Amino acid sequence: MADTPLLELEDVTAEYGPFRALFGVSLTIHPGDAMALLGSNGAGKTTVARVASGLVDAATGAVRVDGVTMTREPTYRFAQAGIAHAPEGRSVFATFTVEENLVLYFRRSLGRKNVPAALDEAYTLFPRLGERRRQVAGTLSGGEQRMLSLARVLVEKPRLLIADELSLGLAPIIVDEVYETLTSIRSSGAALLIVEQHVQHALELCDHVALLDHGTIAWTGPSAEAADVVVDHLFETGSSS
Amino acid sequence: MTLALIGEDFVRALLQGTPPGTVYALIGLGFVLTYKTSGVFNLAFGAQAYISAAMFFKARQEWGWGIVPAVVLSVFVIAPAIGLTLERLIFRNLRTASAVSKLVIAIGLSVALPALFELIADYKPVAGRTPTGIVPDGSSVFYDPTGVYPFSRDELAQIIVAGVGVILLGAMFRFTSMGLAMRGVVESPRMTELAGIPADRVSALAWAISSIFAGMAGVLIAPRLNTLISNDFFTLMVLAMAAAAVGRLVSLPGAFFGGMGLGWFIAVFNTYLPRWADDHTWLEPFKDNLTPSLPFVVLFGILVFWPAIRRAVDAADPLSGVDPPPPALAATTRHPLLTLQTRIFGVCFLGLVGWLGFTQADVRWIALLSTATVLSIIYLSITVITGFAGQISLCQGAFAAIGAFTVFQLVDRYDMSALTAALIGAAIAAVVGAIVALPVLKLGGVWLAIATLAFAFFFDAVIVKFSWVGGGESALFSGTQVPRPVIGPFDFGESDRAFLALAVIVLVIVSVAVIQLREGTIGQSLRALRSSEVAAESIGISPARARIVAFAVSAFIAGLGGAFLAMLEGDVNYPKNFSPVAAMFWLVLVVSLSARTVEGAIQAGAAFALFSPVILEGSFLEWLPYFNEDNLPGIFPISAKWRFVLFGLTAIQFARHPEGMLEFGKRRATQKRNDRYYARDAERAAAPEAAT
Amino acid sequence: MTAVLESEVITKTFSGIQALSDVSIRVDAGERVGLIGPNGAGKTTFFNCLLGILAPDSGTVQFQGRDISSYPVHKRARAGIGRTFQRIELFSDTSVREHLLIAERVHNGTGAFWKDLIGLGRPRRDEIDRCDDVLDLLGLLDLADEPIEALSLGQGRLVEVGRALMTEPTLLLLDEPSSGLDRDETTALATTLRAVQAEKGFAILLVEHDVELVADFTERLYVLDFGSLIAEGPTASTLAMPAVRHAYLGNLEVSDG
Ligand SMILES: Nc1ncnc2c1ncn2[C@@H]1O[C@H](COP(=O)(O)OP(=O)(O)OP(=O)(O)O)[C@@H](O)[C@H]1O
Ligand SMILES: Nc1ncnc2c1ncn2[C@@H]1O[C@H](COP(=O)(O)OP(=O)(O)OP(=O)(O)O)[C@@H](O)[C@H]1O
Ligand SMILES: [Mg+2]
Ligand SMILES: [Mg+2]
Repeated sequence: MADTPLLELEDVTAEYGPFRALFGVSLTIHPGDAMALLGSNGAGKTTVARVASGLVDAATGAVRVDGVTMTREPTYRFAQAGIAHAPEGRSVFATFTVEENLVLYFRRSLGRKNVPAALDEAYTLFPRLGERRRQVAGTLSGGEQRMLSLARVLVEKPRLLIADELSLGLAPIIVDEVYETLTSIRSSGAALLIVEQHVQHALELCDHVALLDHGTIAWTGPSAEAADVVVDHLFETGSSS
Repeated sequence: MTLALIGEDFVRALLQGTPPGTVYALIGLGFVLTYKTSGVFNLAFGAQAYISAAMFFKARQEWGWGIVPAVVLSVFVIAPAIGLTLERLIFRNLRTASAVSKLVIAIGLSVALPALFELIADYKPVAGRTPTGIVPDGSSVFYDPTGVYPFSRDELAQIIVAGVGVILLGAMFRFTSMGLAMRGVVESPRMTELAGIPADRVSALAWAISSIFAGMAGVLIAPRLNTLISNDFFTLMVLAMAAAAVGRLVSLPGAFFGGMGLGWFIAVFNTYLPRWADDHTWLEPFKDNLTPSLPFVVLFGILVFWPAIRRAVDAADPLSGVDPPPPALAATTRHPLLTLQTRIFGVCFLGLVGWLGFTQADVRWIALLSTATVLSIIYLSITVITGFAGQISLCQGAFAAIGAFTVFQLVDRYDMSALTAALIGAAIAAVVGAIVALPVLKLGGVWLAIATLAFAFFFDAVIVKFSWVGGGESALFSGTQVPRPVIGPFDFGESDRAFLALAVIVLVIVSVAVIQLREGTIGQSLRALRSSEVAAESIGISPARARIVAFAVSAFIAGLGGAFLAMLEGDVNYPKNFSPVAAMFWLVLVVSLSARTVEGAIQAGAAFALFSPVILEGSFLEWLPYFNEDNLPGIFPISAKWRFVLFGLTAIQFARHPEGMLEFGKRRATQKRNDRYYARDAERAAAPEAAT
Repeated sequence: MTAVLESEVITKTFSGIQALSDVSIRVDAGERVGLIGPNGAGKTTFFNCLLGILAPDSGTVQFQGRDISSYPVHKRARAGIGRTFQRIELFSDTSVREHLLIAERVHNGTGAFWKDLIGLGRPRRDEIDRCDDVLDLLGLLDLADEPIEALSLGQGRLVEVGRALMTEPTLLLLDEPSSGLDRDETTALATTLRAVQAEKGFAILLVEHDVELVADFTERLYVLDFGSLIAEGPTASTLAMPAVRHAYLGNLEVSDG
């Protein structure tokens, strides 16, 4: 089963106009893997996540999903291949209501007749969203908007779930909830790619770690060994900057 | 008896107002549909409607087709084909662009599309050939259920289509995934793609649907017009904007009832105003002037007094962080050496032009150069309001006209010096600018454009007609003459060359002032306000003050330029120079060249003044030894319509480089050399280090 | 201690949603106060009411002994309230340094029109130096000429803090400044803020979900839940209250800062 990786980045470089953000990044995620992407501010974590979901095209190198080359394919092909990405910040349609936001996603990924069940599930996961289902998403509080964009990917149960700055803006009590759900999603066989500022949380959930530094992979390995490396590494960069 | 009479009049007014109301509703629905599904406030809607109507007309009357094939061709083939072409070539690239860029393109298309169509389809409007509708005997069979007002078949067809349209389109948004997906693509194409929905296909479909609707509306509306010409469609469209505003550009039922309401309101108003005017004589002058401008008054009122519109925010794409930053102005990233070269080149070039202008040029060339200079002054007003403050004002023509009319009136009445009068005119324009800015301060993006357009048309329909502005009836015979100034020994009326020199001096002063303003605190505040009002306020910037200043300065410059244009031509020439449509053309020109730099405005002025005589009339050939005025090749003068072909190409190019084509060209032209200089600097910097 | 800020019984409802009810808080000069609460408790709304971005339904805001409830936003900012935004609000099309420069000049200059016209509105050397000092303090000097769109989330946060500092506030409202920063960067930010604060003596009101930062950085806490204050007091003891744990902390272990 582990032979064809679900997602493979091979020697990927990525650019924003003239600025190069990634220099030859290679990553492999097999079905069922959970990988944490760590690295300091501006290291390129978000960019890796964007390349993995097709939002940013790899300038050179290859991106493969299930062994099929998808380099520079449009983003929706990635989504249709089962990769769900909750981008950093507030990624909701601000003029839609809460429910419309969810429906737009669920209709495509789960089919029209499964939408009500999925909505129920989302509202059980985040009761606050249920209370506000008719509220315009742009007026939700920051954390509520985060819940909304996470609800989408958590309920959808994609094959690969990418979450950027997972716990950003969420109250501790909600973060617990999210991690519980992620654990159960993991145990049902989905793969995860998590960017998280709370290193501790991330290490507990994930079994692999990739450490980014200035657009390159500085270290990859199992999370058990990661703790020391991460601490060392961060101290290095911390003192140099 | 009287009560019954009033009641019957009222009912009749309502019924009378229904057919025009339906037309407004159809157009309003079109606006809302396009805005909702593609994020464009589609001022080219009238043009699209016109093309389908003309196609239908041609198929029916010239080719003798039946109704059904003619409808299929004009509404279901031509209309979506145009929509899809526009989407593919232009609007797809503009999906995440600013409201300014989209609106500017739409304005440009509203002029270019009809011209292109007439060129390609060889269609010529012929006076008095009234179009027929889509139902047989549409205009000759009447139904009169109430006994008060008979409806023609055409009118009933309009009512039915508008009603069915609201219901069907409403159902599309409410019950299908497609409606949601379309709105999603408008807000953030990338987020929609993350949901697994192909954004390109959705927006293509959206354009196809909204274009079909535009075509349908055109074919339905056509029988109301005596002659099928594109300007009438444009005017109708502007009238119907109030309907779209009632729907806040997002609500289909809102637009429908807004349109009907507008029709009813106007009909009722027209029924009763003459009666009141009989009783109260002071209403008399308003009776004639107010009626044609009612829709604009209504529109302006809605925009200013309806809080829901003020709260309507353009939602920003949450994934805009994926885009690389827009390129900085070429001038700001330039290597000092390159800057020096550019300056030397600029000085030489201007010197050469100046020398040619003052020694070699004949009367015709001096006139052209003067026009270019004066227009550049006016265009600088757009640089301030659109380039710096990022706001679209479509009433620059009115501000310029205020300057021009002031000179006319003051000289005419008080024999004042023309230059003093020009400054007073500019000051009056500034005050009017500030007053116009006050109520619309909170409006952003598209809404400001609509409000200023309403003001421009109001000015056009009402203010200009007053004798203390446009000269009233006496101006019909003698024109609105404006003399040139006399300062001490210089009589600028005597010498065109001297006037050109004066205009150049004014242009230089205004340019320097504009640059100072951009670099100063106010310019920087405007820049901050453009992207985040709350953040700007939270560091102490007063948005109201900054915007009022921007409007006032811009109006001042426009007024000054307008006064000079009038002096140059010896007459205000309001319809030709300052009409709302002319002013829209200015905006398109300046923004598509480069709205953010002073050079951009000057180049736009030169382009506007010189393009037509030099290129279209082939004058450039006269510079060659062989040719002279009489033996130019037969293709000259090129039909003015071809310039719209050129415009089409420009628009496509602009869509790729919304910073303005000149700006883009400049950057590309100098990029290589710039990079080389910087690289050399880096080498030099590295060399001594290596040595030590 | 003199109160820099006192809000009295501020209430705000949004079409049926009670976002704030009778919130009264007090911040003394030079104090570091935390405002925490679950998502949607009303913290950002409260900030918006303090600064006038939203008009509260009732209640007053006293700043340095003056009632500023009727001031527009920019006047409150000039009176000495600086803030950062939960959702980053930066000026596009400007570089990092220009960001701070704009703030500096708006703060200094009278913004008189005639001054601008004759060129007195341009940044002076000393203004540029002051900006660079702040950039240096925040570790942003390397990025000074970067266009703002090229920054990552965390870098953008720091620019916002810098921009607020340029206006020399008496009270700094920080809305989740650490989101987007990792542990070390958060610590670095806290250290920087402490240092600047020691120098300038302004007060800080901090909204945060990073409980470690709150525990470490603030002296006093207010806790909001569903728009009402449910607890207040010294940081450590407030965090230990069962009500706070129940509404906000969940299972989180809080180590004493
Ligand atoms: N739209 C953009 N245009 C240009 N450069 C960008 C853009 N987005 C990011 N960058 C640059 O790319 C680099 C990597 O950014 P990225 O957002 O991937 O970092 P990150 O690791 O996610 O940082 P953070 O933890 O702060 O979110 C940064 O140096 C940033 O300045
Ligand atoms: N314009 C609005 N219309 C309706 N409800 C609103 C509006 N603005 C805020 N709310 C609601 O008011 C409540 C308070 O929002 P606020 O942004 O203050 O929360 P917060 O405490 O800052 O939360 P977070 O920690 O998630 O940022 C939320 O439930 C939000 O949905
Ligand atoms: Mg990131
Ligand atoms: Mg908040």
